[in-house]
Amino acid sequence: MDLRSLGGRGQRGFGIVGILLVLVAIALLAVFPQFVKKPYVLHMGVVLFLAIIQGQAWNVVGGYAGQYSVGHAAYFGIGAYTTMMLLEMYKIPPWWGIWAAIANAVILSLVIGSITFRLRGPYFVLASISVAEIIRLAALHFRGLTRGAEGFLLSEIPALTIGDLSIEFYTKRPFYYAALALAALTIAANWLVQHSKLGYYFQAIREDQDAAHSLGINLPVYKNVALAISAALTAWAGGFYAMFVKFIDPNTVFGLDVSVQIVLICIIGGIGTIIGPVIGAMVLVPLSEVLRNPKGLVQLGLLPQDSALVAFIEARFANAHLLVYGILVVVVILFAPDGVLGVIRKATARVRRRAGAAGEPATAG
Amino acid sequence: MTVFLQSVISGILVGGIYALIGIGLTIIFGVMRVINFAHGELMMLGMYATWIVFTMLGLDPFVSIVLVAPLLFLWGAFLQKVFINRVLNALPQNQILLTIGLGLVMSNTVMLIFTSDYRILTTSYSSSSYTLGEISISQPLLFAFLITAAITAALYWFLLKTDTGQAIRATAQDRDAAQLMGINVRAMSVLAFGIGAALSGTAGALISPTYYIFPQVGSAFTLKAFVIVVLGGMGSVVGATLGGVLVGLTESLAAVYVASGLKELVVFVAFLAVLLFKPSGLLGKTRA
Repeated sequence: MDLRSLGGRGQRGFGIVGILLVLVAIALLAVFPQFVKKPYVLHMGVVLFLAIIQGQAWNVVGGYAGQYSVGHAAYFGIGAYTTMMLLEMYKIPPWWGIWAAIANAVILSLVIGSITFRLRGPYFVLASISVAEIIRLAALHFRGLTRGAEGFLLSEIPALTIGDLSIEFYTKRPFYYAALALAALTIAANWLVQHSKLGYYFQAIREDQDAAHSLGINLPVYKNVALAISAALTAWAGGFYAMFVKFIDPNTVFGLDVSVQIVLICIIGGIGTIIGPVIGAMVLVPLSEVLRNPKGLVQLGLLPQDSALVAFIEARFANAHLLVYGILVVVVILFAPDGVLGVIRKATARVRRRAGAAGEPATAG
Repeated sequence: MTVFLQSVISGILVGGIYALIGIGLTIIFGVMRVINFAHGELMMLGMYATWIVFTMLGLDPFVSIVLVAPLLFLWGAFLQKVFINRVLNALPQNQILLTIGLGLVMSNTVMLIFTSDYRILTTSYSSSSYTLGEISISQPLLFAFLITAAITAALYWFLLKTDTGQAIRATAQDRDAAQLMGINVRAMSVLAFGIGAALSGTAGALISPTYYIFPQVGSAFTLKAFVIVVLGGMGSVVGATLGGVLVGLTESLAAVYVASGLKELVVFVAFLAVLLFKPSGLLGKTRA
């Protein structure tokens, strides 16, 4: 297995092997709940898929087009609020509401993009943060529309009927499957972007804006396209989050923390690749979930009921689970700027060199 | 008219403290071209340090500056030497992410130790004020402003008149040229980060009698510090001083004439407008 074939920055092939591997992984994850029924495990799965969707979404504008938005909470929050408000106020079920959420996010992204894309580098980062903050503060202030800091509590998701099949959203299982499907679709969307003309344009913009411009790439248009795709996918994640967690308020969905977490998923995994955000989510989610809710370890039978460790984590880390994000990002930036994926690539390259040198001494030079 | 004057005065008083935070950030940016996203967290550490010496030793927050400032200076110098120094030539995005990470580590470590409870530091003069006609001036804010003004004046003197200060300014102007002139730019970077951290920590000490103390208090101030620094022109100390007062004024007037919940929103909107139409800052000297 050649890891580079999983969609590298240098080599754009995703390869038949890669596609097959992804399909096998999705199939395995789909049958997984048949064998493991513990709600905590399924919960972890949903959170993991959600993080993958967020990471992949950011990847389009941050990874491929190289525009480091630290304001993606704006789209996440718009997705969450639109879906939640349509359901709570007009009884529109989330599988219809989510499209309105996506439309809102795309419109918002066009407004934000046309303002912030005139700026570059650190100025763009600061502008993206301040736009998200403006929206958070507005959501807190205009109570008539958003209920302010009180937020929205989900009352009930109606049952989804497809033909004779009726799906109730009481347990974690339907959420698990929905999140898995959304994550798979998001990865597919990312693959399509990477392998289209758009993807080439985006990467040209990332590598050298001015050169891309002189080659006839319309910078504002294509940056906006990248942001719109990214915003749509992020709103998707936001709407799903609102339905899964069942409570939203301006600080939890529009907060700067949300934007930072989205970026870190990509940075820690590896930017501008399809597998990167998946790795990033797989590293970050279990760590932060265990710190957030250590009782899960008891549920899994890994620790005894009266474990002192669980009590300690619960007492101390419950709010401080972002510590892991902080430590990881510092370590990654200092020692592995290409993320975990970069480390894996270097390691496999070294192994292959050694194997090559031992196996075929005649052609090694 | 009284309301207007009242809000102008309190805006200027708060703005003075904002200026102190902004000056710290702008010195760091000037010397290293690094945007320090952990700046508010340094201020938060200053607040907690002040709170600790107040509750344990009973030291007045304004006196505790003599302990807090050197402490934060050392911490800042340490952060520069161990972390920031390694990314001076990295992509700006990576520098930003590194400082975001350091900020997260600081705020979450404080949360681990002190929990996320809000702390209040109540001094005998916390809620007292002077009245001048119909205008009342908060006593702790006035003290804080006067100390800020003294520190800012001392800092100007240091930067303009001392050899070290001039070396810092030379490094900010042109790192390579400064190095060729025999200035130890590495030492200047450590010094600049230390000074920036000390100023931020001092600001934390100064507002601790009037502000809630909690682990995530920093991020709001980090954002405010950026607004201040961009308004004044990145790297300009005079600009940051004016920018701080301007942001304080805007907030205080917006709270009265727009809505108190929207005062920060107004600041951010103004910030975006400046970024778009006058990215070199209000003072207008363009720097690449």
